[in-house]
Amino acid sequence: MMVKEEKGAGGGNDIQWCFSQVKGAIDDDVAEADIISTVEFNHSGELLATGDKGGRVVIFQQEQENKIQSHSRGEYNVYSTFQSHEPEFDYLKSLEIEEKINKIRWLPQKNAAQFLLSTNDKTIKLWKISERDKRPEGYNLKEEDGRYRDPTTVTTLRVPVFRPMDLMVEASPRRIFANAHTYHINSISINSDYETYLSADDLRINLWHLEITDRSFNIVDIKPANMEELTEVITAAEFHPNSCNTFVYSSSKGTIRLCDMRASALCDRHSKLFEEPEDPSNRSFFSEIISSISDVKFSHSGRYMMTRDYLSVKIWDLNMENRPVETYQVHEYLRSKLCSLYENDCIFDKFECCWNGSDSVVMTGSYNNFFRMFDRNTKRDITLEASRENNKPRTVLKPRKVCASGKRKKDEISVDSLDFNKKILHTAWHPKENIIAVATTNNLYIFQDKVN
Amino acid sequence: MEVQKEAQRIMTLSVWKMYHSRMQRGGLRLHRSLQLSLVMRSARELYLSAKVEAHEPEVPLLPVRSSDPRLHQLREAEAVSEAAPPDSEPPSPEPMDTREAPRAEETPAPCAPRPSKVSRKRRSSSLSDGGDVGLVPSKKARLEGGEEEGASSEVPDRLQPPPAQAEGAFPNLARVLQRRFSGLLNCSPAAPPTAPPACEAKPACRPADSMLNVLVRAVVAF
Repeated sequence: MMVKEEKGAGGGNDIQWCFSQVKGAIDDDVAEADIISTVEFNHSGELLATGDKGGRVVIFQQEQENKIQSHSRGEYNVYSTFQSHEPEFDYLKSLEIEEKINKIRWLPQKNAAQFLLSTNDKTIKLWKISERDKRPEGYNLKEEDGRYRDPTTVTTLRVPVFRPMDLMVEASPRRIFANAHTYHINSISINSDYETYLSADDLRINLWHLEITDRSFNIVDIKPANMEELTEVITAAEFHPNSCNTFVYSSSKGTIRLCDMRASALCDRHSKLFEEPEDPSNRSFFSEIISSISDVKFSHSGRYMMTRDYLSVKIWDLNMENRPVETYQVHEYLRSKLCSLYENDCIFDKFECCWNGSDSVVMTGSYNNFFRMFDRNTKRDITLEASRENNKPRTVLKPRKVCASGKRKKDEISVDSLDFNKKILHTAWHPKENIIAVATTNNLYIFQDKVN
Repeated sequence: MEVQKEAQRIMTLSVWKMYHSRMQRGGLRLHRSLQLSLVMRSARELYLSAKVEAHEPEVPLLPVRSSDPRLHQLREAEAVSEAAPPDSEPPSPEPMDTREAPRAEETPAPCAPRPSKVSRKRRSSSLSDGGDVGLVPSKKARLEGGEEEGASSEVPDRLQPPPAQAEGAFPNLARVLQRRFSGLLNCSPAAPPTAPPACEAKPACRPADSMLNVLVRAVVAF
């Protein structure tokens, strides 16, 4: 799929990123429910959805500014807010089910309404978001406020008419897909047939039809007969963007399996296994856990896929299984700090990654509210910071640099002064333009390239 | 020695994290439990492979530093040398819960069932090293890097809590965990749980027991 290249959209360093907006509370006291847990643009990029730990979904809409200008950059404003999931209690297991939204995925738009899937640990919901800007007035049997009129007082009949009203955006749950996952759901992915989707938990992947809620097909099951023999879990899964029969899933051991649903009903046997042999010089005490893949994303073209493990981003060519074609180090300076990161639990952080619209640049988050972009063509990378200090619109972001060891240059930050509580786990890139959404703990930053 | 302490510290930390994760909202996370048990297994392998230096007197309140590069070096050295199976171990006076979760996932090699043989070596109680209670093989391949000093290890003849104090918000619990851990590391599946030893205070025993039960349920529950 070819995406029209925009001028200056080539690379992370060719373009200058500017602050555009920041959403969320200003105070440092972060309410746990406000912690952003997922960010996703829709297919046109006009809508931007976020999910949080409190089970809410907030959708922002890009304002359609001056359409005459070809590079118009509208602001994103709140379009709709709704409570997607509530906390639940599993009485059989005596477990609370968190309402945190793990993933949001948009369906392509087919009519005036928008549809998205949102999921917590156990239940997936299909939401319809529709606009209402007219309301009927002039009923015969009802007053304007809804009270019923006494039929005996009706002497004439009139036809109700639609009159304009203030825009109201309504979100309603259209389907609820529940009770299909024993373990915690980590991924959902909509098939390119736009009729089915998959949901993945630690040990199983299920295939659903969007219209059918009372059953799903199990297509991957890696649960061992004896749980004591468990060695790996599924960490992420995604459908191929073009081939409706192909999907991949990543594991905690750093492998990715590509499966073809035409081969068999149960895709336990992979068609391809992508695995890079471990570099023995990097072997350490925590090697096993930092090789766990936290995210896998296909490129828009479908030719490549990207994986994120704790320290790096890897690009794989689907035609080559034995090693990635590109590897980018996100924060290699943390390799010597793994023990401390284990102590403060940071080593378990699950970073996501994303492609730009033309698949030429990839982006992922790091600590200290830093995020990184890697240009695949120029091989240059850039580190930027999401901070309220640079919050004047059109302020160009200054590249940041972390000093791993030795003498710290001016403007560099030493590893020891990084704030590991400020982490960027979720980022999203507009499908067509150079607009990115970066989520810090409870704030959403929107950056865009400098428009002249 | 320091590597051993570090390994023990990490094991204690891992147990604590496992226990803590059981209490979190949303229930036990399978992936997290698996990762914790992997680290614990690595730590235990490291611990078992490290040589005990009994004639180095135990210094209480040794500062426990993160020593990743050294761990790394040691791991490499250990990977080079063979891990000889221990040929003796003292009977542990501490109750053994053999059902603990992390052990369920380890390879049998480091903790193969051994016949309980009385060590032929004379035990010197004056040089007891509490940190290695009930564990040490008397004949071990030497590790390189000068981490241990020569002679074969000596096994303490009675259980002593490791003097190295864990730092943190729950020093008592950490102490209990460490004490527990010394017993847990005595990988003798044949040893049935016995009555708690006199040296262990009863109140301290209880939380540890429930912790173990929690651990048991933690991974096997599914």
